[in-house]
Amino acid sequence: MAAVALKNVSVQIPIYDVGGSSLRKVILSKTVGGRFERSGSHLVVDALKDVSFEAHDGDRIALVGNNGSGKSTLLRVLSDVYPATAGTVQVVGEVSPMFDAMLGMSMDATGMENIWICGRLWGLSQTQIKDSLDDISEFTELGDYLNVPVRTYSTGMMLRLAFAIATVRDPEILLLDEVVGVGDLAFFEKAFRRLQGIIRRSQILFLASHIDDILRKVCNKAIWLDHGKLVQYGEFEKVIAAYRKNELLENPAK
Amino acid sequence: MSTTKSTSLDASLRGSRGFSSDIDRDLLSGIRAWPMWTMLGWNDIRQRYRRSVLGPFWITLSVAVFISLLGVIYSHIFKIELRTYLPFLTLGYVIWGFVAQATGESSLSFQESERIIRQIRLPYSIFAFRVVWRNFIVFLHTIVVFIPIAIFYDVRPGFVGFLALPGLALVYVNQAWVTLALAIVCTRYRDVHQIVNTAIQIMLFTTPIMWPVSALGSAAFIAYVNPLYHLLELVRAPMLGEVPSVASWLVVFGFAVLGWTIAILLLRRATYRLVFWL
Repeated sequence: MAAVALKNVSVQIPIYDVGGSSLRKVILSKTVGGRFERSGSHLVVDALKDVSFEAHDGDRIALVGNNGSGKSTLLRVLSDVYPATAGTVQVVGEVSPMFDAMLGMSMDATGMENIWICGRLWGLSQTQIKDSLDDISEFTELGDYLNVPVRTYSTGMMLRLAFAIATVRDPEILLLDEVVGVGDLAFFEKAFRRLQGIIRRSQILFLASHIDDILRKVCNKAIWLDHGKLVQYGEFEKVIAAYRKNELLENPAK
Repeated sequence: MSTTKSTSLDASLRGSRGFSSDIDRDLLSGIRAWPMWTMLGWNDIRQRYRRSVLGPFWITLSVAVFISLLGVIYSHIFKIELRTYLPFLTLGYVIWGFVAQATGESSLSFQESERIIRQIRLPYSIFAFRVVWRNFIVFLHTIVVFIPIAIFYDVRPGFVGFLALPGLALVYVNQAWVTLALAIVCTRYRDVHQIVNTAIQIMLFTTPIMWPVSALGSAAFIAYVNPLYHLLELVRAPMLGEVPSVASWLVVFGFAVLGWTIAILLLRRATYRLVFWL
C-alpha cells in the first residue's frame, strides 16, 4: 500500500546570486510563475504555497499549470529532494522519481557500463540489473553498440538507452516530469508503451506534462497549480476543463 | 522506507519518512552506501583516463619525474644524502598529494553531482566520500613510486612499517571530514574555493614535505605546531622505519574528533538547504 499526504506545504526557494541586475530582471519577469519576496539579504521564491492533498493507491495524478506554477517543485518535494519549508509531507511507499532520464550517463563509458552505473543510481540491485539486461538491449535495439562508448551514439540512441534503464524499476510511487515529450515519433510510440508498463506497475503516479493527450491516456485525477498554489484537485476531466477554460480567459488571443 | 499493511491512512502514515527524519541519518546512511560512492569514485577515475594508454599511471609517472628531479636538486640544497632524502620526499609528497587533491576537489563535490542531487534523494555525504575515495585510488597509484626507491636505497622499515596502516586509516578518516565540511561551505560560499586553493599551495611549502624538520634548526616548533606535519608523520615515519610519536597520534586523533564534530554540525545545518545552494 502506498499513500501520500501533504498538509499546508510551502516551499520557499532562496536565490543567492542575483547580483546582476539583468538576471534579476529575468527572474522577476512575468513569464515565470512564483511570487517573490525578500527574506533577510536574499530573494526568496514562493515555489509552493500552502498545498494540501492526499493520494492513495490507484491514483494517477496529472500535474497541470503554467511554467513556474510549482509542478516540478511539488515533484521534488514528493521525491524528498526539496524540503518543505512549512507544513508536513508524509509518504508511505518507495518513491521513484524520473525527471531527467539521462541521469548519471557517462559519455566515455560504454552502453553496458552505463547500464550498471545508472541502474545503481536509479536504485536497482545488482540482480535487478542483471535480470534486465536482455530487456534493455531488446528495447534499445543497440546490439553491439552496447559495447562502445556512449559518446559515439546518436542522440536518439542515447535517449533510448537512458530511457530503457530508467524504466526498469518497480516503483510504488512514480514521479514523472515531462519525460514523455521527447524523441521522434517512432521512438515516442515505443517509449510510451514502455512507460505505460512502468506506470501500470506503480501504485501512485504523479505526471507533470503540458500535453493533455498524454495526461488523458494515463491519468484519472489532476492537480492544477498556479503560482505555487493548489487551485483544484479532483477528477481528471473536471480539473482539466476548468484549467483550460481559465487559460482561455487569460489568453483570449490563443 | 516503511510500508505498513494497515488500511487507515493515518495509521500507515505513522512511521513514514519525511525530510526531517533524514538529517541525523545522512552521515550513517552515507557511510552505509559505500557501494554507491566507491562505484562513483571508481567511475570518475575511469572517465578521467579513459582514452589514455597509461591511464592513472600517468600520475605515477609525473610524480616519479617530479620526485627524481626535485630529489637530486634539493638533496644538494639541504646537504642530505639522496638515500635519506629521496624516500622521505617521496612519501611526504605522495601522502600530501592525497590530502591536497581531496581537499582541493572538495569544493565541487556537490556541484559536480548536481544532476543527481536534484533528482534523487541520496545522503549528501555520499558525494564527499566519492571525492575522497577517488583520490585514494590515485594515492594507491602513486605510492608505488616508493617501491623501487625503497628497494634501490634498501629502506627496510621492518615490523614498524605496519604502523603505517592504522596511520593511513586515520589520515583517510580525517580527510573525509575535511572534504565533507569544505564541500558544504564551498557550495554555499563560492569564494571559499579560492581560499582553499591558496591555503593548499601555502601548506605545501610550509609543511615539512620537501624539507626535513632538521633544516629548521632551533625553529623546529614551526613544524610541530602544524597538524599537517603530524598527519604526514603517521604514515611517513613508519614506512621509514620509525615509530611516530604519541604526540602525532594524539594531534591527528584530536583533529579528527574536532573536525568531525564541525562537519556533523555543518551537515545538520545544510541538510535543509543544500539543494537550494546548488
